[in-house]
Amino acid sequence: MVDEWVARILRVPPEPDAPDGSPGSVQVFRAGKNYYRWRILMWALQHLMLLLLGVALILGFFNFVTRRVLGPMQDLSIMIEVVALALVLAGMPFTYYLQRLDYRFRWYMVTDRSLRIRNGIWSVEELTMTFANIQDIAVTAGPLQGFLGLADIEVRSAGGGTPGPDGTTSGKHSARFEGVDNAEALRDLIQDRLRHYRDAGLGDGDHHAPVAQEPAESAQRVLAEARALRAALG
Amino acid sequence: MDPIPRQIASITRPVDSLMTYYVLKAIGTTIAFPVMIVLLYFRYHTMRYVFGEEGIRMSWGILFRHEILLNYARIQDIHLRSNAIERALGLARIEIQTASGGSSEMTLEGLTDPEAMRDFLYSRMRGASHTTPASTESAKLAAVLDEIAVELRAMRVAMEGRKDG
Repeated sequence: MVDEWVARILRVPPEPDAPDGSPGSVQVFRAGKNYYRWRILMWALQHLMLLLLGVALILGFFNFVTRRVLGPMQDLSIMIEVVALALVLAGMPFTYYLQRLDYRFRWYMVTDRSLRIRNGIWSVEELTMTFANIQDIAVTAGPLQGFLGLADIEVRSAGGGTPGPDGTTSGKHSARFEGVDNAEALRDLIQDRLRHYRDAGLGDGDHHAPVAQEPAESAQRVLAEARALRAALG
Repeated sequence: MDPIPRQIASITRPVDSLMTYYVLKAIGTTIAFPVMIVLLYFRYHTMRYVFGEEGIRMSWGILFRHEILLNYARIQDIHLRSNAIERALGLARIEIQTASGGSSEMTLEGLTDPEAMRDFLYSRMRGASHTTPASTESAKLAAVLDEIAVELRAMRVAMEGRKDG
């Protein structure tokens, strides 16, 4: 109830339309139930770090560093630190609530030709990609995500940034299915879609995609029949 | 290929509310406001779009001119983005990526109907529409071969029938 009300005030658009594909091929996935728990955990860890850092700053743990940089401004800096910490504390209920909204307003759509991902509350982002342009798929899960049965699937098109040590790029050329609890099924589905495209995925024309029937397979069937025919003759 | 829809082809300029958003954006930069407002003012007034048969041409700037030409078939992915302020003004950005680099190659701003534009761009992307398998050469060949296999089987069945009888 409150969620819908907040969404209306912020003008968050409703569930997006699925991109065009063959009728009946649209599948809509949502983030796993544990994804909300994972977000809350991350939120708690983040705030714990911020609080510890803030308290340490105010108590003067880093004074030997800040004195050299700030000099006579040292006293003023404590005031700023107190205000900043108060702001973080005051914002906590809102950021806590945002985790829930972010979990609810998140859609992953897959058709036979393309995918669409929608997420975000204040800043809403919607990404559409066709499978014809996809280069590779990365499935990653941290220890905490693994414990909660979650994984991130990242689908990348050409021209993206360099992948980091964890194998994700988080650049503009990638679509992230964050916190899904059926990662393997979803990965297999995407891989199956990709199998229909045999070109390089680098802007070639649409002429030869996708090929449903293989001439070589049909020729094999002809050969098998011809052999059986000769066996029947002999 | 279908002709460009009228409401898309007729877009040449961003909508007025984009300037409102630019003013708010400039205010948001506080001390940089005088510089930002001038830059954004000229950006808004010089921004031009041409949606052609093959691709998009976007240009802006007076002193530093920019012109970007982008082919529909080269589009890799389409981002539709908006923050709450933009949505309150009925605006959204469409960021288009090609395979060339890291950042967005083109950002369409100030569109009257961003979702219609997104659907139009999607329809022109490669892989968005199916070419029927029967139209391709190899599929035709496969179909002929399959027919030969059926004929051969029929021959064998007929012959076995004669032998038994």
